[in-house]
Amino acid sequence: MFSKRARMWLGLIAALSLLSLASSCGGPKTDDNTNTGDGGGKAYTSKGDEGTVTGRVSYTGAAPEPKKIDTSADAACSAKSPNLTNEDWVVKDGKLANTYVYIKSGTLADGTKVTDYSTWPNMPTSATLDQNGCHYKPHVLGVVVNEPITITNSDPTTHNIHFTPKNNPDWNQSQVNGAAPMTHKLAVAEVLVPVKCNQHPWMKSYVGVTKHPFFAVTGEDGSFTIKGVPAGKYTVVAWHEGGANGTEKTMEVTVPAKGAATADFSFGATALGQPSSLQMLPAIEFPMMGKH
Amino acid sequence: MSKSVHRFALLVACATFFLIIAGANVTSHDAGLATSDWPRSNGTFFPKMVGNLFWEHGHRIVATGVGILTIALAVYLQIRERRSWVKRLGWIALGGVIAQGLLGGLTVKMNLPLAVSAAHATLAQLFFLITVSLAVFTSRHWVTPESSVTENGAGVSLRSLCVAALAVILTQLVLGATLRHSATWDQDLPTGLLLAHVGGAIAVTLILGATAATVLLRHRTEKYLTRPALVAATLLFIQLLLGLAAYITRVASPYDPQPMTPMVSVTVSHVACGALVFATTIVLTLRVFRVLRVDRQEYVLAPA
Repeated sequence: MFSKRARMWLGLIAALSLLSLASSCGGPKTDDNTNTGDGGGKAYTSKGDEGTVTGRVSYTGAAPEPKKIDTSADAACSAKSPNLTNEDWVVKDGKLANTYVYIKSGTLADGTKVTDYSTWPNMPTSATLDQNGCHYKPHVLGVVVNEPITITNSDPTTHNIHFTPKNNPDWNQSQVNGAAPMTHKLAVAEVLVPVKCNQHPWMKSYVGVTKHPFFAVTGEDGSFTIKGVPAGKYTVVAWHEGGANGTEKTMEVTVPAKGAATADFSFGATALGQPSSLQMLPAIEFPMMGKH
Repeated sequence: MSKSVHRFALLVACATFFLIIAGANVTSHDAGLATSDWPRSNGTFFPKMVGNLFWEHGHRIVATGVGILTIALAVYLQIRERRSWVKRLGWIALGGVIAQGLLGGLTVKMNLPLAVSAAHATLAQLFFLITVSLAVFTSRHWVTPESSVTENGAGVSLRSLCVAALAVILTQLVLGATLRHSATWDQDLPTGLLLAHVGGAIAVTLILGATAATVLLRHRTEKYLTRPALVAATLLFIQLLLGLAAYITRVASPYDPQPMTPMVSVTVSHVACGALVFATTIVLTLRVFRVLRVDRQEYVLAPA
């Protein structure tokens, strides 16, 4: 049917197609920012002497100016949020909002580990992620594994909610204006899962998923409180977005029985994160491009 | 051979080029999942074209148009074309565009896995290869060549150079597609793939440059060959500049609020110019195979 030359061409085309598939197949990404140790499935029983971890997250140096977002691609967004700005670094009086703070690991006073337990008193049972004004509210959200996240659309336009986790399955659903709320659960602990709207590409949010309820998100004053923490020694992590994977700050704290531990964190210009391609290719680095 | 068939084949090739640009816009805008539906968008074939749905659904509309044009071309060739292998190529093109549509749907339904998205981008270039080839095969110059060029066996074979150039360009397009689909604007560029793409650019420059230089040195009076060689070399130069610009704009605004118009326009231009380099190299290669005759010297052993 085909000549020898035609067969050669078809063979070449088939080989290149296979090359394409082979070059694009990679192993799954791993994320070591999580407290993903398989819990022993034990339930923690309150001893009545739990304490708290409190603190404040500050930003040192000149805070980055919020960048105005061009929402003109969708008139509904322009009308509802004419002055929308990015929320990467929300700084007020040197205090940093939207920082996710959580207990990464630790040992309770009785010698057991945080990761030994899968059930804790006062586990949150529901959270809401609202699309309002073509941005997500809240910008950073904390949940426990398998906690239902109710997703609502308060805008007069269609959104799509796209969870892009590394350890959980990818999830993307369109939600037209006026549609009923949707629910989504994340079954594996992961800090943090980016959420975006491919319809309105400036929209992004982050969801921290842990196996325990010991997390908090800083408010506008940079403060946070994690309640109900059993007495013990813990590694507390403050995570803030920036770059592809965010920036972490770590601190060791000791929570006394019925007492409070303090964990103050500070982020600055160096925490913004740089694309790894610039770091890996210094020969073609453009110094003026590194400022964000 | 019919002039109208050639014009129609040319139209399909041009429409395919436009479709590649539309597809590049989907990737650069990160619009591939602007709707979780396929083939409908948000439950309808006529959604409100706002936000990134403009790019995703627009790409689907252009693809539908190319699909219809390809059906018409296959039927047209079946009716008007005498050469059976050209008719067959028309049906292969139709099979290619159907497979391409299904791959496009599959990648949306599977939330853009890299392997499927890269295969979708690669098949786009292969389909473009077929449509450009059909335009060449139905041209008057192909059917009745006005000249025949002879090349003695000395030196590197021009035919081999052309095939090597075509193969290395296609490989480079596959690498570029994989690079683009493996890192959206909010992720770091994978360094290994980036370096491979830079290496590919060097290989394309060397081989395509050598091919064009060989054509110009050996057959400078043969415009049928020198024209596509000059166009390919010029486009290659522009493509290298666009590649550098695409990298600069990408690293300059990796996490800024999107859409970033400079980054999108430069990367889309880079994809479009890459397709044009490929197209002109296809034309050059086919023409070389059509008019070049290799004169192999016969050596006769002297009697003992």
